[in-house]
Amino acid sequence: MKLLTNVAILASAATLSACGTLGTGEYGYSDYGLVRVARVSVGDGQMSVVAPRPYNRHRRILFSDVKDVEDWTLNGPILDGISFVSGMNDNRELIRQRHTADQQVPRFRSNMTPPEIAAMLESLYRVKGGAVDLRTLSLQPRPFLGANGFQWDYEHLDEDELWRRGRAVGAVIDGKLYMILLDAARSHYYDAELPDFEAIVASAERHG
Amino acid sequence: MCLRCVEVTRRAMLLGGAAAAASIGTGAAQARIRPQDMVPLIGPGFKPTDRDEMGLWKEMERAEEEIAGSNLVIEDPRLAGYLKNVIGTVGGPAAQDFRIYLVRIPDFNAMMFPSGFAVVFSGLLLRMRNEAQLAGVIAHESGHFLRRHMIRSWRDERRKTDLLAIGSMLAGIGGAGAGVYLGDYVQLAQLGTLLSLFQYSRGMEAEADAMGAKLMEQNNYPPVEMSNVWQQLIGEENASARYRGKHRHKGGLFDTHPSSDARMADLRADALELTVPGKVYDARRERYLSTIAQIRPTLLDDQVKLNDPGASQYLIDTLALDGWNGLLRFYEGEVWRLRNRPGDDIRADQSYAAAVVYPDAPADAWRWHGISLMKQGRSAEAKAAFTRYLTMKPDAPDAAWVRQMMG
Repeated sequence: MKLLTNVAILASAATLSACGTLGTGEYGYSDYGLVRVARVSVGDGQMSVVAPRPYNRHRRILFSDVKDVEDWTLNGPILDGISFVSGMNDNRELIRQRHTADQQVPRFRSNMTPPEIAAMLESLYRVKGGAVDLRTLSLQPRPFLGANGFQWDYEHLDEDELWRRGRAVGAVIDGKLYMILLDAARSHYYDAELPDFEAIVASAERHG
Repeated sequence: MCLRCVEVTRRAMLLGGAAAAASIGTGAAQARIRPQDMVPLIGPGFKPTDRDEMGLWKEMERAEEEIAGSNLVIEDPRLAGYLKNVIGTVGGPAAQDFRIYLVRIPDFNAMMFPSGFAVVFSGLLLRMRNEAQLAGVIAHESGHFLRRHMIRSWRDERRKTDLLAIGSMLAGIGGAGAGVYLGDYVQLAQLGTLLSLFQYSRGMEAEADAMGAKLMEQNNYPPVEMSNVWQQLIGEENASARYRGKHRHKGGLFDTHPSSDARMADLRADALELTVPGKVYDARRERYLSTIAQIRPTLLDDQVKLNDPGASQYLIDTLALDGWNGLLRFYEGEVWRLRNRPGDDIRADQSYAAAVVYPDAPADAWRWHGISLMKQGRSAEAKAAFTRYLTMKPDAPDAAWVRQMMG
């Protein structure tokens, strides 16, 4: 994952130098934009949340990003990240992938149970994130967006030899997946960001 | 987790690295080297005396320290002792000098480093059907050391690139050089860089194959098992590619290894030449299976969750040639469930139902069997399956969710 994020950072640097702008989110262009402490729409706009403090939102890249997935970070994607899935439809994918790739992240199906959603996320970490070990710490019922949802806690060892920990809170409502996910270095960053994550989850509202 | 960040795949980086690092050692197909012509070039307790090799060993000592302390090393004294025993058997004159580390990476690979330590990927243990196959791969790696391939390729590389310091090589990008199949994990912090040092020519690989086959035969392993390893690898690659509508990569410009097909043919010829009529060989299958029994569920889990259905199904079918059991039936179901095409849910249900009939069915088979039954509306049967799951795994991390499902 570190390697992947390194590539993302390199790509970001190239963009900045090419544009010759400040890249603060206020002026010019960068891969990240500012998230202010106010209600903001995430993903394709079917969900909104309030961040308890300013965050960095990864800008969407046309044709390569999935429209109902959005990523935020506080200290950079190697250390922490909060991801949103805002009403993903049946038979859609969490990320774009070549259909000839040997290893693939399973598609979301609207009849998935929480263990199946957790397994889909696990394959995402293993196939695309370089996780070599992933352990479920707990999977339990939890209301989300007024529906019967779930909370999945887990930790994973990645190819950069760093243990990361995560929590996903989500629900399938009218056949669509709504989910917010925290994933951060197990040492320090996960605990430091968990209160923000819980505040964001508590603030989540569904639209449409 | 940055869902966005995973869009840049590691495979793209790997291909870039491989192209940069493996531009030597190509050319016409290598003529087969006869095993009887292969003799070790070093004896027991070998230590380098030349200055460049001493420098290389010093770097390797640091590398070994890092690898030995890596989070990825599987700390299992029984497995570690077993691997040490295998390399101690087929390691030739250096048998007692080798060190060997098992790392948790679900790919087919093993590699030998210049100072005599080997790294075996956990994915290799999953794919081997008996000790002879594992010993064959380790004997091949020992062959690289016994034939002094590392220092030979190092000196050759230095001549070609005019690089004078080890440090400048260490700064190079990781690439495909030493292993059988490096997979995506070549970018691992230390391994990727270190592997770029050793770019064995096809001739060296052929030597290591011949040396390895000879070491197998000398230790009463059936030499034919090494070619069986390659047959299995080819089968797996074909199955994986076929499923995704592709053709298997059969060796190209940047491959330092002979193609798998040519290699299998040569190894089969080696085996025929080496096998002594009337001599009793032993693949030591039972010992292998009992040794890896505890870790096998983890190995299967790591493979199946990569959602490479063609490869995973081929591997499960290959392992099932020695007999189906609850574990293999369960993971067959997992392959279908993750593949997730129309009709796969029914296939998965059938596999879970078949798995739980076996006495060795893992607890998770009961859980997924219960989920399948629940989705079919067979709630009483689902409840029974969930009850069995919680009985087998009272501290299950998803117990709260399962109890909710049970009502």
